[in-house]
Amino acid sequence: MRLALSVFKNCISTVFDSADQLLIVETDEVTNLKKIPLKFVSADPLERVAQLKDNDIDVLICGAISRQMQALITSQGIVVHPFIRGEVDSIVSAYKNNQLEQAIFSLPGCRRHGMGAGFRGQRGKRYRWR
Amino acid sequence: MKSIRPINSFSGNSGSDQNIILDSIADGVFTVDKDWRITSFNRAAEKITGVSRNEALGQLCKDVLKADICERNCCLRSTMKTGEQIINKKVYIINAEGRKLPISISTALLRNKNGKLLGAVETFRDISIEEDLRKVISQKYNFADIISKNHKMLQLFDMIPDIAAGGSTVLIEGESGTGKELIARALHNLSSRKKFPFVAVNCSAIPDTLLESELFGYKAGAFTDAKKDKPGRFKMAENGTLFLDEIGEVTPSMQVKLLRVLQEKTYEPLGGTQSIQHNVRIIAATNKNLEEMVKQERFREDLLYRINVFKIILPPLRERMEDIPLLIDHYVNRFNTLQKKNIEGIDEGAMSVLMSYQYPGNVRELANIIERAFILCKTGIIEKKHLPENLFASQTKESNAEGESLRDVEYKYLLNILKQNNWNCPRTARELGIHKSTLYRKIKSLGLQLP
Repeated sequence: MRLALSVFKNCISTVFDSADQLLIVETDEVTNLKKIPLKFVSADPLERVAQLKDNDIDVLICGAISRQMQALITSQGIVVHPFIRGEVDSIVSAYKNNQLEQAIFSLPGCRRHGMGAGFRGQRGKRYRWR
Repeated sequence: MKSIRPINSFSGNSGSDQNIILDSIADGVFTVDKDWRITSFNRAAEKITGVSRNEALGQLCKDVLKADICERNCCLRSTMKTGEQIINKKVYIINAEGRKLPISISTALLRNKNGKLLGAVETFRDISIEEDLRKVISQKYNFADIISKNHKMLQLFDMIPDIAAGGSTVLIEGESGTGKELIARALHNLSSRKKFPFVAVNCSAIPDTLLESELFGYKAGAFTDAKKDKPGRFKMAENGTLFLDEIGEVTPSMQVKLLRVLQEKTYEPLGGTQSIQHNVRIIAATNKNLEEMVKQERFREDLLYRINVFKIILPPLRERMEDIPLLIDHYVNRFNTLQKKNIEGIDEGAMSVLMSYQYPGNVRELANIIERAFILCKTGIIEKKHLPENLFASQTKESNAEGESLRDVEYKYLLNILKQNNWNCPRTARELGIHKSTLYRKIKSLGLQLP
C-alpha cells in the first residue's frame, strides 16, 4: 500500500493545489516504513493526478484541496483525506491507528471535510494499515 | 497554543468598539502577532474563508487563510521583514467548503501608540465575481464554473475529468440554453489539448454550401474570387478541439463528408487534391434526439455511432429546480458587478414565481429574466413586479390559482422531485442536500401522501 502526503518541510503542506513536495510512504510489514520524497513536476491538475497515478498511490493525505482537484484525484480511484494538518510523523502514526479524525489534525473550520466529505462515500475503500 | 492578545491592546479603543468597526468593513480583516497567530478576525473574513472567528483566533494564519502563497511567499512575512506594505496582490485561497477563491490581499505592520511592533494586519477581498467576468470574456471555463447541486449534474462532474482525459469524440445532448458549449469548453480546458485552440462552429448558422469550405478551408482557385488558400476550422483547431454545435441540422451530403473525416482522420480542402491528416478532438452537440432522427432517416446512423462514443445528456433547468436559487444568486452577483448596482437578492414572492416557471429557454432564459429585473429594480430587492408578464401567465396556467403561496410551490416541487426519484425518500433527501428526517418532517408538514 502506498500512502502519499503533500508536505512542506516536515509538516503537511497547507494547500495541496500549490504544494510542490510529496512524501510517499510505503510499507510491506508493520514496522518497515519506507519514505520516498518526490517533487511535483507540474502545477497542472491533470499532470499532478497523472504523477500520483504513475507512482501507484492508493491514499493521499493533504491539507486544503480544491473540489476540482479532489474530484480529479478520486476519479482515479485514489482515496483522499483532505484538510489535514500536522507533522508528518504524527499524521502517519494517526493514520496507522485510525485516529486521523481527531480535531487536532483538521484545519480550522474544516472538520466536516477532515472526516466528513473526505471520508463520506469512501466506506470500504479506506485502506487499513497492514 | 499561545494566549490570544485581545484586539484592544492595539490601540486605545475598547475591544467591542474595534469589533464593531472591523465587522462593518466589507473586506476581510485579520491581525496576527509576531508568531503568526491570529489575534482578531472580522465578520467578512469569516464569510470569505468559511472559518468562524472562534475557530480562527489563536491559530496560525496560514491554517486559516489557506492561500497558495502561505508557505513560500507569505505577504505578512515579507511585510514584517521589510516593513513595506503590500497592496492588492492577487492570490488564491481554498475556503472551508473546498472552493478555490481568488482574493486580493493587502498587508501592513501593526504598531502600538509607542511605535512598538505588535504584529501585522492583512485585509483581503473576494474577487471571484471579477474573475468570473474575466472568464466570461476569455471563455476559459472549467467544470468548477458550472453551478449545480443536482444529482445528475454532480454525477456528470465526477465523470468529466475522465471524459476530458480520454481523447474520444463526445456528443452533448441538451435543450437550448442548458450549457452545452460550457461543458464542451470545460472538457477542452481539462484535457491535454488545452494549450491548443478550442474552435466552435454552429452548423445551423452556416448555409450548407458554405459549411464545407468553412470546416475544411479551400485552395486558391477553387472557385471565383478564391485568390489564396484559406484554412478551415479543422486546420484552426489542429491539436485542439472542434466543437460542432447543432450537429442535427447538418444536411445528409455534409453528414457523409463529416463521417469520412471522422473515420479516416483526414479531410480535403475545397479545390485541393491531397488529403490532410488532422489531430482534432470532436465534440458535437445537439438539442435534437438524434436516435429519433435516425429512425426518421434524417440523420445517418453510421455518423451517429461515430460521434456518439460518449454521450453527455444535460438535464433541462425544469428538471433541476434546486439549482434555481443558486443560479439566481450567481446572476444577481454578476449583474451587481456589471451594472454597479447593489441588489440584495429576490423576495419570497418573486422566488415562488421563478420556482414554478418551466424555463423553455433554460439557464439562458433565467439569466435574461434576472437581467431584465435589474433594469426595473433600481435598488433593494427584486420583487414580483420586476418579473416579466409571461411568467405569471404560465404560473396561472400551471397552478390555476393566482398568488400561489410558497407552501404550494414547495408542495409541488417536493411532489415532483419525489416522483422523479420513484418515491425513494433517502435518494430524494440526498438530491435535495437535506437529511432524510428533515425530508420526512417536510412531507408531514406539507401533508404529502406517499404511495
